[in-house]
Amino acid sequence: MSLGSLDQRLLVFVGAGGVGKTTLAAATGLVSAQEGARTLVMTFDPSLRLKDALGVGEEAKDHPVRVPEADGSLDVALLDARVTFDRLIRRYAPDAKAADRIFNNRFYRDLAGNLAGILEYMAVERLFEVQAEGKYDRVILDTPPTRQALDFLEAPDRIVGFLDSGAVKIALAPWWEKGGGITRLPFRLAAEGAEGIADRLVGARLLQDVVEFFRAFAPLYGGFRARAGEVRKLLRAKGTLFVLVSGPGEDRIPDAMFFARKLRESGHRVGPIVVNQVHPVVTTPGDLPPELAEGMALFRYLGERDARGLERLRGLLSPGEPMVSLPLQPAPPADRDGLESLGRLLTDQLG
Amino acid sequence: MKLVPQLMRRRLIVVTGKGGVGKTTLAAALGRILSAQGRKTLLLEIDPRESLHQLFGTEPSGGAIIKITPKLGLQNLQPRAVVEGLVREKVPIPPIANRIINSPVFKQSVDGAPGLKEMAVLGYALRTVLGEYRHSADVVILDAPATGHGASMLAAPLDLAEAVSGGQLGEMSRQLADFIANPHECAVMLATLAEEMPVQETIELIALLRKRLGRPPEAVLVNGLYPVFPGKPPSRRGAEPPSLSLWRDRRAVNERELERLAGAWSGTMAELPLLPLTRGPALLDRMVATMETALP
Repeated sequence: MSLGSLDQRLLVFVGAGGVGKTTLAAATGLVSAQEGARTLVMTFDPSLRLKDALGVGEEAKDHPVRVPEADGSLDVALLDARVTFDRLIRRYAPDAKAADRIFNNRFYRDLAGNLAGILEYMAVERLFEVQAEGKYDRVILDTPPTRQALDFLEAPDRIVGFLDSGAVKIALAPWWEKGGGITRLPFRLAAEGAEGIADRLVGARLLQDVVEFFRAFAPLYGGFRARAGEVRKLLRAKGTLFVLVSGPGEDRIPDAMFFARKLRESGHRVGPIVVNQVHPVVTTPGDLPPELAEGMALFRYLGERDARGLERLRGLLSPGEPMVSLPLQPAPPADRDGLESLGRLLTDQLG
Repeated sequence: MKLVPQLMRRRLIVVTGKGGVGKTTLAAALGRILSAQGRKTLLLEIDPRESLHQLFGTEPSGGAIIKITPKLGLQNLQPRAVVEGLVREKVPIPPIANRIINSPVFKQSVDGAPGLKEMAVLGYALRTVLGEYRHSADVVILDAPATGHGASMLAAPLDLAEAVSGGQLGEMSRQLADFIANPHECAVMLATLAEEMPVQETIELIALLRKRLGRPPEAVLVNGLYPVFPGKPPSRRGAEPPSLSLWRDRRAVNERELERLAGAWSGTMAELPLLPLTRGPALLDRMVATMETALP
């Protein structure tokens, strides 16, 4: 079997942090390109080694970078919230002066990078851009390392909710215009009252910065809402498949099942569940030298633990629902070849 | 200076690191060790999916403090509940407070406002050790969210203090930022595995703590180490059972990463073995015993 038989245009790798999602996404990208699909891997936080193995550097934060000497056509884009945010503002701001106003805003500089869900929001923007360009046959998306992996899918809705909420509308109301806008006395008094309370709580400067930020940013909202809607559709489209990666061992299985259920309930297509880093079952004869005994007892435990995890998962899946088990590698793949054989190991079972 | 006596003097201990490195177990073990030596300890977990209670063999509490011993309590803290508590405190008229708390503007702001939840959690910890609540503790041990989140949690008060020039929020964030930056009051314990990504994040986090907060971590705890592989590699490698070569190879990864870490961190470090136990009271007992000998 090969990836080609899956005919997926978008593969989304999801799962808890530390399970090897990013490496598997990159490995799958190599195989996909080799099979002739023009492929883009979008990833968040690859290790130095993985970047070296792919031969891409920081410049991939700004635009997709071609992986040198790959078989077929493979690009890699690194997602960085701040870089994407800056570019978004440059692209959609009405003019350079408006863009500069946002860049110089203290709230934007100090805090906007920490807005909850901002990384996910930016991933959605990048995904939309890439999809609209139509340059790729297949996009492989690695999702941010979150404990609550659903955050990623809910982020666009949450941000749209926040932008639509009263908090932003209040910031945008003409109350804050000094000497202009509303002249009717009751409104002005109400505005000054609100301003007084806010000043006492958070200080006038932050408030001014926030108001300025949201005003400067306002022309960008409408577009974002529309784009977020498109991406919502894309994530539920027929050509999109979620690959759920889980750690081995019994402890991890309930998390994986919970996530798979949530994905399906929200209308997404879930492909095989990939159990990664599985310890082999120990078959060593009992006549080991004594200095190996304690260590082997640990490996015997780990092998049994992971086997129990796989068994438990199999029992929870309905018949025919695919599951892939990947053995723990001797070391993380250090070069293209290592990455590629890992990719083969996975994609051979994916079909 | 020995690590445990040093930690006995801190009032806030933040245990942070990448997901899946065993932060919760390490935080719980520290709680057991400090409380056994007489420090009244509150263990705080932020994850909405409770798991701390499993280590103590108790039921999930839904946010209430569970007393394990007279000196040790644990709590799963919901940041939203803390923010709501603050509103009720500032607005002493219940119907008005309820209206604020149930308004969509409030809900969206708590979810979306940068740094608010982080501030709420840290503020709760600070007020607990300052004795401003009905419950109190000598020390709060915070099982922080995974790095990325953990780092932004520690920097949140400072970010906010810099953005806000005055007002109550400005004062509160300044006070918290000072408390976290003070190495006599607050300890940051970095938990990691001796594997590539966790070590990389740990090195980045050490640099970030120095740069943003002007302080190093108190210690780095390296968890989940495969045991030292005894003896020389056998010459007939092909004939070796697969688990044996996997053991040697994974231990080699551990050693390479320990070395990389040592290149970036010359401060206190402890090495903790991978334990053959699933999450539960037995694992915690073993971890406590292990730490008692392994901590410098």
